Amino acid sequence: MVAERGNAPAPAAPNKAESFQIRKARLRASFLSQLPGRLADARRAVAELRPGEIDHAHLDALYILFHTLKGSGATFGFRQISDAAKAAEQTVRNAMDSGAPVEAALPNALERMMDDLDALALAADVQVDPDVAPGFELPRSEPAAGQPSDARPGQSADRSQRMVYLCDDDPDLAAQLAGQLGCFGYRVRAFTNLPDLREAVEAERPSALILDVVFPEDENAGPRMLAELRSGKQATIPCIFISCRDDFGGRLQAVRAGGNAYCTKPIKMVELLEFLDRLTNPHPPEPINVLVVDDDRELAQFHATVLEEAGMVAKAVSDPEQVLGLLDTFDADLVLMDMYMPDCSGPELSRILRQIPGHVSLPIIYVSSETDVERQHKALAVGADGFLTKPIEPARLIAEVGLRAERMRILHSLMVRDGLTGLFNHNAIMQFLGVAVANARRAEKPLCFAMIDVDHFKAVNDTYGHPTGDQVLIALSRTLRLRLREDDLVGRYGGEEFAVVLNGVGAEQAKRILDALRTSFWNVTFFSDGQEFRCTFSVGVSDFPTFDTPDAMTEAADRALYRAKNGGRNRVEIAAAEDALPEPAPESTGTSHGS
Amino acid sequence: MRILIVDDDPFAGAMAEAILDAEGHTCRLVESGIEALEALGDAQNGFDLIISDMHMPLLSGLDLFREMRDRGIATPFVLLTGDDPEPLRAQVPGLAACLTKDASLEATLPAAVAGI
Repeated sequence: MVAERGNAPAPAAPNKAESFQIRKARLRASFLSQLPGRLADARRAVAELRPGEIDHAHLDALYILFHTLKGSGATFGFRQISDAAKAAEQTVRNAMDSGAPVEAALPNALERMMDDLDALALAADVQVDPDVAPGFELPRSEPAAGQPSDARPGQSADRSQRMVYLCDDDPDLAAQLAGQLGCFGYRVRAFTNLPDLREAVEAERPSALILDVVFPEDENAGPRMLAELRSGKQATIPCIFISCRDDFGGRLQAVRAGGNAYCTKPIKMVELLEFLDRLTNPHPPEPINVLVVDDDRELAQFHATVLEEAGMVAKAVSDPEQVLGLLDTFDADLVLMDMYMPDCSGPELSRILRQIPGHVSLPIIYVSSETDVERQHKALAVGADGFLTKPIEPARLIAEVGLRAERMRILHSLMVRDGLTGLFNHNAIMQFLGVAVANARRAEKPLCFAMIDVDHFKAVNDTYGHPTGDQVLIALSRTLRLRLREDDLVGRYGGEEFAVVLNGVGAEQAKRILDALRTSFWNVTFFSDGQEFRCTFSVGVSDFPTFDTPDAMTEAADRALYRAKNGGRNRVEIAAAEDALPEPAPESTGTSHGS
Repeated sequence: MRILIVDDDPFAGAMAEAILDAEGHTCRLVESGIEALEALGDAQNGFDLIISDMHMPLLSGLDLFREMRDRGIATPFVLLTGDDPEPLRAQVPGLAACLTKDASLEATLPAAVAGI
């Protein structure tokens, strides 16, 4: 046994100059890195146990192994590992002390304990080593030596600073979720019982909690724990409940305890991540944007000022003709509109807006001295959402606008997201491209649009099945979201095709960024049924002002992508000015590149 | 203080060493009771303190302690154990200390050493 352990990697040689904390951290990391090896040794010894015989050799080896694990686990503060090892040690001890032949049930019992230990080791690994990047074994996002950085320092680290505590009494599930969330850049500490969670929360407040509803204590123990935490100092800690319960009672308890979200098991990762992203977003929500349209210039300005004082961003306009142009650059959450205007009435302007696909869901509230309810209803029938009667109390104006805009934002964010990847959907990303081009033109800043297509994706689906194909798409979407800046926009263009809008970036810089992403993704190893495979993607990039409309940019990026595919795939091509010209023989129509 | 640390688990041993280094002591780490006896034989008077794990194959911490005393080596001896230390304390008179091997060692070990 001593010889066997001799094969395990020894701790890093001590460096006396290091501070104690650094040495300790290194030892802990080192302990964790060789933990799987120790557990594999134990599994081998368990497999070699000879039921029916008096087997001192393997029992001794197992005893020392578990005992050592108990000791060093405890020394490094991994209490759950230590406790689990202690239980296994005790089981072996009992078998040794009995002096009887090994019972047939012993290997199975030990196997189960090993499963627990494996799960805890995985969870501890995530817990201790949160900074190691990301998803599906992506390498770290450092630029190669001598290469210019992709100008996004600290961007991907941003999310990894968000510490999440996860508590589920099923250690396998806890470890699995912790591992996956770790892959997506969250720092996760997993717990399997509520007292440990409470202790940890009291010691250090996490950015969010993920909490099971049902615990061995009782079927509402999770919500009760949250209520207890919330009644103390941790009043505002966001919490997502996870549960196999989908009954009304479970959801009601969760809501009453103050839960912010509820995910049913089996957990859909994208859904959980969406909630987590939203709840732990360190940036304050964007202020609400309101467009005020009133032919009475002073009244328009007055309403705008009232809203501005309440923290919103308001633009006042007195000429309805200016509204469409303004909406191209001003991302309004709501339009406050006078009903009677001389050149174009409110209902007429509403009709115009509703005939433009991008504005179908834009909330419109009329402002008028009209008190006739029937006429109010007629005006609303055109597709407006509310009616405020002049004169309006400032407090009422703020409340009406704020409530509607908030709610619309949530609905909107649900409408514009792709179900599988959580990215913006095709329509949304195209709309954002339009807004981005208008902004870039106004600010005289560069802008890039990239189309990304997974290479040979059909072969992935055919070989490994669609669920595996979906995993590849999810992995790519997370890579894009984690590695790009918050103000870059990432969408799923369709199928295995993605679109990225890079604000303020020229073509050369965009190529560097996308090449770095491409290399990262290429290094990702996917596993399916024990088989290992990799994926690559091809990219076409177009830039503003070389291409000066959204359509021209899309078209040019598409042609560049086609060139990247034809040129051997796994590469980034920049669209040149001649890509604007229609090709003599348009082989490529739409977005089909034969992946 | 010159301290000999005996632990067959290299991680736990290195951790004890790190704790004591941070206190300014000079440590040497060996992985078995046999190695410890050799080290003591080479330089009997070289160490001011022995800190040993309890459970080790071949020669336990307790065996090491008794063997040392049999050989007339009176260096103070601290025993570390992953189990409840109370029965050991009661059972083995003459130990300078008997400490639990867990995360609290960061505090209890320097304190015990300082008391010697």
